[in-house]
Amino acid sequence: MEIVQKSAPHLRKPNANVVRMMSDVAIALSPLVIFAIVQHGMQAFWILLVSVLSMVGTEYVYYQIIDKMNGEKFRINNKSFTIYNFSVVVSGLIYGLTLGDTVPLVVVAIGGIIGVFLAKLIFGGMGQNIFNIAAFARVFVVLAFGGAIAYEAFIDADAGATALGMLAGEARLDGPINDTYSYWTMFSGIGLPGSLGETSALLILVGGLYLFLRKSFDIFVPLTYVGTVFLLSLGVMVSTDAGWWFPATHVLAGGLMFAAVYMATDPITIPTTRPGRIYFAFGLGVVTFIIRLFGNLPEGVVFAILIMNMFVPAIDYHKWARNKFTVKSATIFSLVVIVTIILTAVGVNYV
Amino acid sequence: MIAKTKRVADYKQLTTALPTLRYVDPERVYLSLSTDRAKNYEMFVEEGENVKLGQIIGERDGGYFKQPIYSSISGEVEGTKKMMHPSGIEVDVVIIRNDFKDELHETITDRPDSVIENMSKEEIINVLKEKAIVGLGGSGFPTYIKLNTDKPIDTVVINAVECEPYLSSDYRLIKDQPEDIFRGLKYVMHAMKAKKGVIAVKKTKKELIEVLERELSRFKDLDIEIAAVKDYYPQGWENETIKSAIGVEVPVGTLPMELGVLVFNVSTTAQIFEALKHNLPITKRHVTVNGDAINFPQNIRTRIGASVKDLIRLSDGFVEGVEKVDLVIGGPMMGTSVTTEDVLVNQTVTSVLALKSEEFYEEPCVRCGSCIYSCPVDIQPVNIMNAYKRGDEDALQNLQVDKCIECGLCAYVCTSKIHLTDYMRKGKKFLKNS
Repeated sequence: MEIVQKSAPHLRKPNANVVRMMSDVAIALSPLVIFAIVQHGMQAFWILLVSVLSMVGTEYVYYQIIDKMNGEKFRINNKSFTIYNFSVVVSGLIYGLTLGDTVPLVVVAIGGIIGVFLAKLIFGGMGQNIFNIAAFARVFVVLAFGGAIAYEAFIDADAGATALGMLAGEARLDGPINDTYSYWTMFSGIGLPGSLGETSALLILVGGLYLFLRKSFDIFVPLTYVGTVFLLSLGVMVSTDAGWWFPATHVLAGGLMFAAVYMATDPITIPTTRPGRIYFAFGLGVVTFIIRLFGNLPEGVVFAILIMNMFVPAIDYHKWARNKFTVKSATIFSLVVIVTIILTAVGVNYV
Repeated sequence: MIAKTKRVADYKQLTTALPTLRYVDPERVYLSLSTDRAKNYEMFVEEGENVKLGQIIGERDGGYFKQPIYSSISGEVEGTKKMMHPSGIEVDVVIIRNDFKDELHETITDRPDSVIENMSKEEIINVLKEKAIVGLGGSGFPTYIKLNTDKPIDTVVINAVECEPYLSSDYRLIKDQPEDIFRGLKYVMHAMKAKKGVIAVKKTKKELIEVLERELSRFKDLDIEIAAVKDYYPQGWENETIKSAIGVEVPVGTLPMELGVLVFNVSTTAQIFEALKHNLPITKRHVTVNGDAINFPQNIRTRIGASVKDLIRLSDGFVEGVEKVDLVIGGPMMGTSVTTEDVLVNQTVTSVLALKSEEFYEEPCVRCGSCIYSCPVDIQPVNIMNAYKRGDEDALQNLQVDKCIECGLCAYVCTSKIHLTDYMRKGKKFLKNS
């Protein structure tokens, strides 16, 4: 027996580890995966399989090459490879779930490879990435392969647009969307067109509840994010007499719920403090809403996430980042929220 | 995980129910001459000389304070040697062989209550100084310095929280000698002319509250209150105890006495009683022997100067088949690890823990923020770690690494099992040296 020297603390919290955190996200995603396969058939299964495998495979090959360059011996089980903690699997699943069911598998694979390589690996792997990997891959697919794949496919499908697509651009205030889809359809996602994972608000909430109970994410992020979009759309509703369908659609339709629960809560790419995370989620809400309302891209969420990811170091900067709200910071933040809502509600009449 | 963690696994039930084993007659005692704080000392006895219990055998010089060294038994001085101190460094010790007679030195005489009641603050402080009473909660800070303040004190808080996992020595002490605690508190209140006394104890320790309530009925003439505080870590941190017990918030960097509050550990209070009533230095204390690598965890009342090896032997030794043991003096969250069993028990040893040494696989930080959410002093361990890694002095300053109390909670909660507390220490050192 040997007595070893260590420094305090000598205990670690049981059941707190990265494997658990990441596998919890995978478990929370599983109802969505099943729902996607039921709703979209085997095509959904292949897309998810390809998206996961392309990311996992890229990371595996990358670390084998890095090891080779460092002169280490070849081992099947590479030590830097993060499949054991599910982080790359989760990225792949989220990326796959943001895609539509008509995206060609080749495009899915290219997006996955580029996404994990450019957004994660060259930054230094897990924990070092600045941009949300899934959001990056998704945006890459949209930009590189054009609206042809990402939008026309949706627009052609079913009633002519995603539920949210009807809100974009010129048609944004034209009429109640629930003429086409009932609130129940938009909430449950059954029969609602859209990308694989984003349609069922119900199942997303179930996953979010699971993550909350397991303390595997910070509930304040999705609450603030969805709350901000809701308040902004409420402001617009009041100023344009749009009716209750308007905020309801903004919250339920599109990728908002999905992104709020699974993408905006990825701890690696968001600030570290509670107030910082709330500022971040508020920023996400504002950017998302503005892109949806004034731009003509219905999927504002992934762009919003990438844009806000860039501000994380600024939010976390040591000169002002504090663990708790002070009276001063809470007052300023509340003022900013109110001013933003008023500006948006008034501004919508002039754009 | 991504939430505030306030509780740490407790493990106290392993030892609380058992009676305290009395091991007050070791064959030899080893009394440290130098300590981690006081390197210089003078020895007043020679090899072969007979000493009595309570006899001064030397004096330490700690710079701003001098501290007499007392013999905790009667017997014969066998010489000196080097031995490991509970703080993890080697010190000079004097060995005394026990003659099992417990002959008291002539200065050890009881003071009648009537005398104590008429003692002035200065006289009481002198007794505590002379008898080398120090904080027994682990700090070892000389008690008389705490009392020696000009600030008016209106509340004396007794810290009986014992928030570290595994530890139950204070728990057993309260059960075994509740009267000593109340009388010690009475003396301190008398010395400081404090109006109020508060004993802070964990709400979950119902048995202790019962014991203290019963004892309190004998001290009706004093304004003493038993404050049942919430069970979380680090409730035993002085500032946290004060906040929970009497609702006074102590800003980091301020001493409680500036706000009219004095805090004593519960075993220190019992020792203050011994010193004033019986004129005794610290000769015995409760020590918890615990951990998952110990066969029979229990509490032991032992003589100051006993060896840790004996305490482990009395607890049936280490569990067989354990290859690596982490031997900790003090609590598992803040205690020091020592590399040998040959460690002397001094006044500040609250516990001896033998833990199965587990190698934690350190993953890259995922910035989950658990450390930030859990930090009791509201600093940002993860950002401090990153600032330290890039050698950013400015950031370390702004992130207030100096506020860290090294409670160990950040490393405890870390999802990636990163030793953040170590980075906090390095960060502090970095700031100090730059």
